[in-house]
Amino acid sequence: MHERLNNRLREERARLDLTQADLATLAGVSRKTINTVENGVFIPSTVLALRLARALGTTVEHLFQLPSEG
Amino acid sequence: MTSKTTVEIADRMSRKRAVIFAAAAGAFLLIQVITRPVIGGSTRASSAQTEGWAINALVLMLCLATGGGLVNGARLRALINDEVSRSNYKTAVGVGYWVAMALAIGLYGVQGYTNYTGRQAAYVIVTLSISIAIFVFSYLELRAHRDA
Repeated sequence: MHERLNNRLREERARLDLTQADLATLAGVSRKTINTVENGVFIPSTVLALRLARALGTTVEHLFQLPSEG
Repeated sequence: MTSKTTVEIADRMSRKRAVIFAAAAGAFLLIQVITRPVIGGSTRASSAQTEGWAINALVLMLCLATGGGLVNGARLRALINDEVSRSNYKTAVGVGYWVAMALAIGLYGVQGYTNYTGRQAAYVIVTLSISIAIFVFSYLELRAHRDA
């Protein structure tokens, strides 16, 4: 069981020039959710990961990786 | 569709809730320490104080269970009580449960040395476990809002 999940949320958000609030609005979640996922404080559910990936126009696999996968 | 304004309002209300919850739990704890000392096995509580304590404890439990803000719209409440808050709630309730268990076992153990009633034991267990659960929830919520 992995306790950490690497993510590219910040990079993808920056690529699209979005603030945390912008992404939260696009994904229909709170800014707190974006902040905690981005900082690795919170590991998102599958549904949330899919919503974030869809909002950023990418895939879940691209957005999130297990630590061993680099 | 969620508007940016709704997200911003939810963000503000969520922060405010964490602070209000912590302040409410702190006030609840402080009032108990000042008005109803239980150390030594006896209380000087009047009927009004006892009923006041029970009502306050129930209100705090209700706040923690529902996340408060019952008058807000469904969309706003969903944003405030999001996946992160639900996870924080579970952690806080878990901590409260273990505090209650530890206190119950501790009180069971010291029963041989000092006498207290079941009501006093319930008072100590409920007061501390609900207060600590709310403090933990508030801390986790404020941490979630903190930028890295």
